[in-house]
Amino acid sequence: MLPAQPAPARPKLAAICTIYFRMSHSQHIVDRFLDGYGWNGTHHHPPMDLVALYVDQVGNDDLSRERAARHPEMKIYPTIADALTLGGRKLAVDGVVLVGEHGHYPRNEKGQTKYPRYEFFEQIVKVFRDSGRSVPIFNDKHLSWNWDWAKEMYETSRSMGFAFMAGSSLPVTWRTPSVEMPAGAKIREAVSVCYGGVDSYDFHGLETIQCMVERRRGGESGVKWVRAYRGKNFWNAYQEGVWPRDLMEAALCRSHTLKPARPSFNDIFPTADDMRRLVNDPVAYHYEHEDGLKCTMLLLEGLVRDFNFAARIDGRAEPFSTQLYLPMPDGRTTLANFFSPLVNSMEQMFLTGKPTYPVERTLLTTGLTAAGVESLYRNQARVETPHLAIGYQPTKESTFWRT
Amino acid sequence: MPQRIAVITTVYRYLSHAQHEADRILVGYPRQGRWHRPDMKIVSLYVDQKPEGDLSATRAREFGFQVYPTIAEALRCGGDKLAVDAVMIIGEHGDYPRNEKGQILYPRYEWFKQCVEVFEKDGRAVPVFNDKNLSYSFEKAKWMVDASRRLGFPVLAGSSLPVTWRLPDIELPLGCEIEEALMVGEGESDAMDYHALEALQSMVERRKNGETGVKAVQLIEDDAVWKAGDAGRWSRELLTAALSRSDTPQGLTVKDGRTQDLVHNGELARLARNPWAYFIEYADGLKATLLMLNGVVADFNFAARVKELGVQSTQFLLTPEPNVTYSACLIGKVEEMFTTGKAPYPVERTLIVSGILESCLTSHNQGHKQLETPHLNVRYSAPRESQHCRT
Repeated sequence: MLPAQPAPARPKLAAICTIYFRMSHSQHIVDRFLDGYGWNGTHHHPPMDLVALYVDQVGNDDLSRERAARHPEMKIYPTIADALTLGGRKLAVDGVVLVGEHGHYPRNEKGQTKYPRYEFFEQIVKVFRDSGRSVPIFNDKHLSWNWDWAKEMYETSRSMGFAFMAGSSLPVTWRTPSVEMPAGAKIREAVSVCYGGVDSYDFHGLETIQCMVERRRGGESGVKWVRAYRGKNFWNAYQEGVWPRDLMEAALCRSHTLKPARPSFNDIFPTADDMRRLVNDPVAYHYEHEDGLKCTMLLLEGLVRDFNFAARIDGRAEPFSTQLYLPMPDGRTTLANFFSPLVNSMEQMFLTGKPTYPVERTLLTTGLTAAGVESLYRNQARVETPHLAIGYQPTKESTFWRT
Repeated sequence: MPQRIAVITTVYRYLSHAQHEADRILVGYPRQGRWHRPDMKIVSLYVDQKPEGDLSATRAREFGFQVYPTIAEALRCGGDKLAVDAVMIIGEHGDYPRNEKGQILYPRYEWFKQCVEVFEKDGRAVPVFNDKNLSYSFEKAKWMVDASRRLGFPVLAGSSLPVTWRLPDIELPLGCEIEEALMVGEGESDAMDYHALEALQSMVERRKNGETGVKAVQLIEDDAVWKAGDAGRWSRELLTAALSRSDTPQGLTVKDGRTQDLVHNGELARLARNPWAYFIEYADGLKATLLMLNGVVADFNFAARVKELGVQSTQFLLTPEPNVTYSACLIGKVEEMFTTGKAPYPVERTLIVSGILESCLTSHNQGHKQLETPHLNVRYSAPRESQHCRT
C-alpha cells in the first residue's frame, strides 16, 4: 500500500486518452475540464487544472493539438509516464483521467474491441510504484474487455490504496421522470430496454440496471450466471416470458424514441409482430444475482434510441420505471451533456480523494458485459459466473443529475 | 360508455398537431410508464383543409368516425342536437394568411364561436380544449374565455411546454418572491415565441399574490437587444443560468464539439440571427424578458432570481420527433379535464399570454415602442399542484 496523499486545494490532473476527435469520449470529458460546462445554473469551471495529456492515436481529425494551443496550461506528452510526471522523474499530478474509448484497436474473435485500458492503467500504476505515491484514477466505461485484467485493475487499486472510479454516464445522467430507486426496496425483477450493439452499448444497458438494483434490500451480492439470447432465440424467449413482458412494456413506455410501427402514426405502441419486423438483431442478457434477483438487458436497435428501466418492487401495484435520459448529439442536441455529471463526479473524487460511487458497480458490469459476450460466443449457452460474486453497498445519497 | 369527442382542426396530416394530438385518443399514449388507452372515442371530425398527405379519411375509416363538412354538424354528429361530450379545437398548421404583425390568422376564435352557438342553441355545453393560444387577438381570446364563463363550460388551452419534462425537474414554490425572470427560446414568430412566453408564464404565475396582469410590453431587436443587456434591462446572470441548461449551443460547439460559456466568450452576438427581446412589465412590478436567440441555441430554457432561493433555472424538454412525447403530456391534461369537468390549470394563463404576444408584436410593428397594456389586467391564481410531467 502506497500513501495516498490528501488532495491539494487545486489538484493537477493528467488525462490519458486513446484518441481525441469531435464527439469522442476524450473530447467530451477533457473539454469539460478545459472549457467548463453548464452546471447548477452557471458555467462551471472545475476547481482543478488538467495540465498533462497523452493521446495514443492522432489522426487527421485530431483536436488535441488545437486544445493544447488554446489552453497553454495543458501540455501534450509523448508517453503516459511523461504525462504523469510532467516530463520529470516522479509523479507530478494529483489525479488521472483514463479515457480508453474510440480509436482504432483490433477486435478479437468474440467481437470485443481491445481498447488498451488495462495496458494504460498498468503504465499509470508503474509511475505510482516508481514514485512511491498514488493518486485517484477515473476510468471511462468498463475496466477492460478481459475479465482477468479488469479484476487485476480493481485489486491493484485496493492493494495500492488509491481511489478508483469507473463507468458509464447512464447512472449519473438526468432521468425522466427524475426518480430514484427507494433504498432497501425489495426488487422482484428488473429490465432495461436499450439500443446499440454488443461490446458497446450493452455495457451502458447493464449499468442502467445495476445503478438501480444495487439499491435493493441487502445491497449487491453478485451474479451467478448469465445467458444471452439473440435473433430467433430472443423471440422465443420473449414468447416464453423469460423476462417479464409487462416490465419490457413499462420500459418501452418511458422511451422518447419509439420507432413508429405504422406509417403516418408518430407514436404508437408496437405489436409483437411489429417488434420482430423493426428489430433485426435483438439481444438480451438475462442473468441471476446471488440473492435470486433476475435482470434482463435488452438491446432493441431499430425500436428505440434511448435507455429505459423498469422493475417490479414489492408493495407497488405498478412497475417502477424511468428513462435514463441522454441528450444525445445524434441530431437532437449539439452537446453530449450527460458527460457533465460524469465529469462532476470525477471532480468530487479528485477533491475528496474518495470515489463518488463504488467502482465495484463497474467491476460487476464489466464482468457482465464479458459474460454476455461469452454466452453469445458459445452459441448463447448459459455461462456460470462464480467470479462475479461481487458484493457491495450503494451510496446513501443519489448520485444522478437532478440539480 | 367511452366519452364522445369531436375534433375540429385545420389539417390532419403526419406530424401536424391534429395528427399527434388526436391520434393519442385513437391509439393511446405513454403515461406514467404505461401505454394508456383513454376511455374516449372520437366520433366526429371537421377538417378545414385537406392538402396532400391528408389523413382524415383513412383515420375515419379505420377508427369508425365521420368527417363532417361543418363544425355544427360535427358537434351534432349529423343530427339536430349536440351529440358529443367534449370538443378538441386544434387550429395549428395549414395554410392561413398572416396579418401585418406577422401573426398567422388561425380561425380558432371563429371555430370556438361556432361551438358556443351550438351549445347555446342546444341548451348544453361541454368542455373544450383549444390547442395553443386562444386567438391572435386578445379581444377575441377574451370573448372566448367570457363565453365559457357565461355558459359554464371548462376550457383548457395552450402550449405543451408548461407541461413537458423539465431538466432539472424543478417547480417554483407557490407564493415565492420572484425578483426577475428570463426565458430563452428559438424559432419563428408567431409560433415558437408563443410557446416560450407560455413556458415563462407558467413559472412566474406562481409568485406571491398570483397573477395580477401586465401593464406594459416592448419588443426590440438586433443590436438594441445587446445594448439593453449592457444597460441592465435584462440580466446577464440569468442568461448565463438559462444557457447553462441548453443542450444545443451552436457555432463552435457544432464545429468541434466544445462546451461554451456563450455569455462571456464573445460568441453570443456573433451567432444570433436577428435576436428579439420581449420585455414584459407586470402590474406588481415583476420584470420578465424573453430572448429569442435563433442561431445561438435550439432549445427552451428559463431562469429566475428568487428571493431566498437564488437563481433557479431549467430546460423545458422538447422531446424529439417523431414521438414528440411532450404532446402526450398535454393530452394527459386534456383527458383530465374531459374526465373531471375541471381544467387542471386556468385558461387565464393562455389568455394573458395570447395578449402579451399580440401586444409585443404590435410594439415591434410600431417602431419597437413601449406599449401600455391596461387591457391585460388578467388576474388568476396558479394551480397548487405542479402540472408538468414528473411521474
